[in-house]
Amino acid sequence: MSTHVRHTHIRAAQRVITTRWRAGNIQRRSLQQETTVKDSGVEAYQNVGLRLAVKDNIAARGFPTTCASNILAGNEIPFDATIVTQLRRLGMDVVARKAGMDEFGMGTHSTTSAFDHVHNVHPLERYSAGGSSGGSAVAVRNGTAELALGTDTGGSVRMPAAYTGTVGFKPSYGMLSRWGVVPYANSLDTVGLLARTVEPISTAIVGRGFYSEHDPRDPTSLPSHVRTRCTAQREGYDSSGQAPKADFRGLTFGVPLEYNIEELDPRIRRGWLQAAEKIQSLGGRVVPVSLPSTKNALSAYYVIAPAEAASNLSKYDGIRYGRRDSDGTSDALNGVLYARTRGTGFGNEVKRRILLGSYTLSSDAIDNYFIQAQKVRQLVRRDFDRVFKLSNPLQDEQTFNLSDMDESVMLDSKLGPAQVDFLLSPTAPTPPPLLEQVHKQTPLDSYMNDVFTVPASLAGLPAISIPMDIPVDPNNEEEKLLHFGGLQLIGQYWDDARVLSAAGKLSSHVYSV
Amino acid sequence: MPHLRPTILSRYLLQGQLSARGCLNSRYRGYAIIAARTSRASAPTPGHARVRALHTETTSPAPTDPDAPVPGHVPLRKQLKDEAKRQKATGKKKRKNANNQVVDGWELTVGIEIHAQLNTAKKLFSGASTSFNDDPNTHVAYFDLATPGSQPIFQNETLIPGLRAALALECNIQQVSTFDRKHYFHWDQPSGYQITQYYEPFARDGRILLQPRDGIAAEDGGEGLSVGIKQVQMEQDTAKTLAQPGDVHWIDFNRVGVPLIEIITLPEIHHPATAAALVRKVQILLNAVDACVSGMEAGGLRADVNVSVRRTDDPAAPLGQCTEIKNLSSFKAVEDAIIAERDRQIAVLEAGGTIAGETRGWSIGSTETRRLRAKEGEVDYRYMPDPDLAPIVIGDDLVHHLRDTMGELPDVEVDGLMKDFGLTAKDALSLIALDGGMRIEYFWNVIDALTARLGPDALENQLCFQLAANWILHELGRLTSERSDDAAHDLGFTVEGQCERVPVDHLADILLYLHQHRITAKIAKELLWVVFRGRIPDQYPTVSDAIEQEGLWFHELSDVEYAELADAAVEGQDDVVKQFVNYRQYPQGKLMFLVGRMIRLGQEERIDPKNAERIMRAALEEKYVPAMAKQ
Repeated sequence: MSTHVRHTHIRAAQRVITTRWRAGNIQRRSLQQETTVKDSGVEAYQNVGLRLAVKDNIAARGFPTTCASNILAGNEIPFDATIVTQLRRLGMDVVARKAGMDEFGMGTHSTTSAFDHVHNVHPLERYSAGGSSGGSAVAVRNGTAELALGTDTGGSVRMPAAYTGTVGFKPSYGMLSRWGVVPYANSLDTVGLLARTVEPISTAIVGRGFYSEHDPRDPTSLPSHVRTRCTAQREGYDSSGQAPKADFRGLTFGVPLEYNIEELDPRIRRGWLQAAEKIQSLGGRVVPVSLPSTKNALSAYYVIAPAEAASNLSKYDGIRYGRRDSDGTSDALNGVLYARTRGTGFGNEVKRRILLGSYTLSSDAIDNYFIQAQKVRQLVRRDFDRVFKLSNPLQDEQTFNLSDMDESVMLDSKLGPAQVDFLLSPTAPTPPPLLEQVHKQTPLDSYMNDVFTVPASLAGLPAISIPMDIPVDPNNEEEKLLHFGGLQLIGQYWDDARVLSAAGKLSSHVYSV
Repeated sequence: MPHLRPTILSRYLLQGQLSARGCLNSRYRGYAIIAARTSRASAPTPGHARVRALHTETTSPAPTDPDAPVPGHVPLRKQLKDEAKRQKATGKKKRKNANNQVVDGWELTVGIEIHAQLNTAKKLFSGASTSFNDDPNTHVAYFDLATPGSQPIFQNETLIPGLRAALALECNIQQVSTFDRKHYFHWDQPSGYQITQYYEPFARDGRILLQPRDGIAAEDGGEGLSVGIKQVQMEQDTAKTLAQPGDVHWIDFNRVGVPLIEIITLPEIHHPATAAALVRKVQILLNAVDACVSGMEAGGLRADVNVSVRRTDDPAAPLGQCTEIKNLSSFKAVEDAIIAERDRQIAVLEAGGTIAGETRGWSIGSTETRRLRAKEGEVDYRYMPDPDLAPIVIGDDLVHHLRDTMGELPDVEVDGLMKDFGLTAKDALSLIALDGGMRIEYFWNVIDALTARLGPDALENQLCFQLAANWILHELGRLTSERSDDAAHDLGFTVEGQCERVPVDHLADILLYLHQHRITAKIAKELLWVVFRGRIPDQYPTVSDAIEQEGLWFHELSDVEYAELADAAVEGQDDVVKQFVNYRQYPQGKLMFLVGRMIRLGQEERIDPKNAERIMRAALEEKYVPAMAKQ
C-alpha cells in the first residue's frame, strides 16, 4: 500500500483563506472556563463523585473488559488498571457502562465494535465520533462523565476529540502506566485522557502528580530516577512557581509543511492558519518547519502496529477466558488449533491487521517491512528532535548536520532551521464524516485519517487535540453543524506540562462554543 | 548417570512415569509425561503427576511399535524379549553401539540443542514461585496466564544460574541481550508465543572439553576434544499437559514461564557416543555450578539433535542437509537416535535419494527415527523483539563475582579424586554425578570425619579413604536397591553433605573399625543396615555400643587355630586336595571351597576369609599336597 502524502506549500494554503475569521469569536471566553481556570489544581478533585468513563480495553473491577470484541465477550479482568486506581484514589467513580470503541482499538471511527457502534453527539448523530476511543469522547461530550480514559496508539484519543469537539491528550510514552490496559501495539500504546476542557486533564497529570508515579508492574513505565531527571529538564511541573503567563511571548510554534497535504479539507486548513495567526497576535512566533520523514511515518505505523497486534492477539484462544467456539468436538478446524474460535471471535478489521502483521513478521518479509519500519521510526523521532528547542532526555546528545538534512528543510538563519517549543497542526484532515460514508470507505481511506497523529505516536511524544473553530458558510446547513475541527499541539518528550498549559491557554482563543 | 532400576524403567516405558531425584528434591515422585493413554491405563490424579518436566517441542509420542497394541501390564522383560524377537524376525540385528560409531566412506556431523530448567525461586517474568510438586495451578501470576492487561517483569535473579551455566561452558557473556517472541499456537503456551533470546542471546562462543573418561567414542582419540558452544539463551518453559482418558487434556500452569536455558553447540561432533557424552557432561557441569534443577532422568533436561552426513572422499564438500530429531530424553536415546538417523540418511543417499530438511522424532527402544513434519509444514515463528521488555544489561562486576565464586568444576575435582584417593575415573565420575552432587559432599564429610579419627598420616590413611569411596558408591547404593518401590527408603542426602539415613559419623565409625580389622566386612555391612534402619540411636547410642552390646568385635583366630581348622576342613577331601597336585592352572575354586568349609566348621565371626585363605593355601602347599604325594 502507498501512504505517501503529497503536500503543497503553506503559502499556497494561506492564499486559500478568503473568508475572515468570524467576528466575535476572537475575544470570547466562556464564563465557565474562566471559573474553572481559577479553580485549577487540587480543589477540582475534592468533589467526590466526579464521573469517569473508562474505555472498554482498560480494566476496572466490577465491569467487563471486552475490547469490543466477541472473543472477549463477557470477560472480566480481575484487577484494576493502574490509571483507574489512580483516579479512583482521587474520588472519581467509574460510570456504569464501559465506553465503546473500535474492536481492540483498531479503527478510526469506532465502527468496528462487535457490539454497538458509537455515533457522534446530538445534533451530529449521523456523523462519526472518531476512534478508536469514540465512546470515551462521546461520554464527556454529552456530559455522562467529567473525565474519560482512552488509549492512544496512533491517534485513538486525539481523533475522537477532534470529531466531537472535546479535548484529547496523549501523554509521553512511559508516563502513565499501561498495567491493566489491554495491549494493541505495546511500543505505541499510551493511556489517554479526554475531557471538555484541558483543565481536568492537566490537573490529573500535573496538579495531582500522575507524571511522577512509576508503576513497578509496567516494565515500560519510566523508572522514578528517570522521571526525576526528565522533569528537572522541563518547566511547568513545579506548581509553586509564578502564575503562568497569559500570552505566548517567547514561545515558538512550528507549522510542519509536510502536514499541508492535498487531502486536507480547505476549512480545516483555514482553521489551522487562523489558529496560527491567533498565536502570533498573542505574542507567539509561528515558523514553518520541515519533518521530511512524515511521508513515511504512516507506512511505518501500519507495519509496526499490526505486527505487534498480531503478536499480542495470539493469546486469545478462548481457553482461559473469553468466548470459545465449541461447536463440534474440538477447536480444530482442518486440524488447526483454535481456528474456529479465532475465526468467529475476531471482526474483519482485526483479522486484516493480524494477517498484515503476521506477514510483515514472517521470515521472508521481516527485513523489508518490520525492520525498515523500525528504521523509519527512528528517522521520525530524529526529525522531531531536530525541530524542538528542547533535547530528547531519552537520547544521547545528538548532532544534526546541515549537510544531512533534507533539502526541503527551510533555514531560519545561516545557523540552521528554526527550533520550536511546540508543533501546531490539525488533528484530522477533515471534519467528522458521515457514518454512511465511513461504511463505504476502504480500509486504506480510514488509515489515511491518522496521518497527523501517527508521527507523535511513533516518537512517543506528548500531543493534545483541542477544538478549534473553522469557517462556516451560513447558507450551508452541514457546515453550520460541523463548525469545529481538531487542533493538535505536539511537544518534546516529557514536555507534557507545557503542552497542557499552552493548550489550555490557546483553546479559549481558537474555540468559541 | 545412575543405573535405572527395572521397576523404574518399566514404569517409565509402560506407564509414562518418571521418578525424579533432582538436586533440589531427592524424594521419588511419579511424573506423567505427555502420553497417549489407553483407556485401560488408570488416569493419573493431579497428585501423581508432579515433577515439572521440561517442554521442548510438543509432539505426542507414538507407541514404540505401531503394530503392537500398547500393553497394559506386560512385564518389561517379556516386552524387551518380544521386541528382540521381532527384530530378529525382520532380520535387523542391533549392533552394539560401541562398534557402530563410524560408517566407512561417510562422515557424520551433529549439533545439539540442550534445554535445561534453571534453579530459580521465581519464574522468568513474574513473581510466582517455581515449584515441583505443589497442587496444580497454585503458582500462577496474571502474566503467566496471559491475562489481558498484564505485563512481564523480568526477574533479575533468574539470571544468576544462567550466568553460572554460561561461565561453566566458557562462554563470553554479552553485555546487552534482548528478549524476542517466538510465535506458535499450542494450549500449553498461553500467550501464543514463547519469550526467548533469538536475536541477541546473553552468552556466546563457549566450549566444552570432553575427555575419554567422559565416554566419548574411541574414534575421537585418547586426547579428548573440544566442542564449541554457539550460544546460550534464556527462555520460558510451557505449561504441563496431563493427558486424560478420552482425548481430554488437563493443563497445569505451575510450570508455565519457568526459566530455561537453551545451549546450542556448533556442528562439531562426529560420533554418536561423543554426542551422548556431551549431553551427559553438560548435565554434570550444570549440576556442579548449581544452575539446574534436575537432570535428564527427572525431565529437567532435554536435547534436540541436528544430524547430517556427507561422503568423506571430498573434504571440501559442504555439510549435508541436516534433519532435526526433537525431544530426546536420555543419553542413550541421543546416541541411538543419531545412529539410526545417520544410517537412514546414508541409505537414502546411497539409493540415489536426497535428504529433506525436516523434523523427526524418536521413541525409546526403536531402531528408526520417524518423520514429524516436513520443512514446508514448519511453523514460521515470526520472531519479534518483545516491545514490553527492555534489554538486559549485565555488568562486568557481576560476571567477575560469579566467576570468582563458582568453585571447582567437575573435571578438576575428578582429577583430584583420582590423584588423591586412587579412584578409577569411572568411580570418581559416579561419585560426582550421584544425587546431584550431594553424594560427593557427603564423601568429603566422611573423609573429614575419618581424618579426625585416624590422625594426620596421609599415606597410611589412603587405604581407608579408598574403602570409604567404595562404600559410599556401592554399599550405600545397595541399601535402597532392593526396596526401590518405597520412597521412604531413600537415603536422604542433603545439600550440606549429610545423609539422613546414614549419618556421616556412624559411617566413619564403621569404616574405621573395618579398616582397623576390629570388625569383619560382614559385620560392617550388617552394622550399615542397623544404622540405615534407625536402630542407632534408637536402640544403641553409637556404633561402638552396638558392637559392644552384641559382641561383634572381631577376635580373630590365632594362626594355630586357623591351622587346626584347616586340618578339619581337608578331612575326607582327598579328591579335592588331589587337584592341587600338578595342576595346569591353580585351582582357585577348589581353594575357596576348602576355605568355605573352614568357615562353616569354625566360629564364623572370628574368621577373616582372607586370612583363612592364606593359611589354607600355605597348608596345602607345605603340608597336604606333599602328604598326598607321599602316598
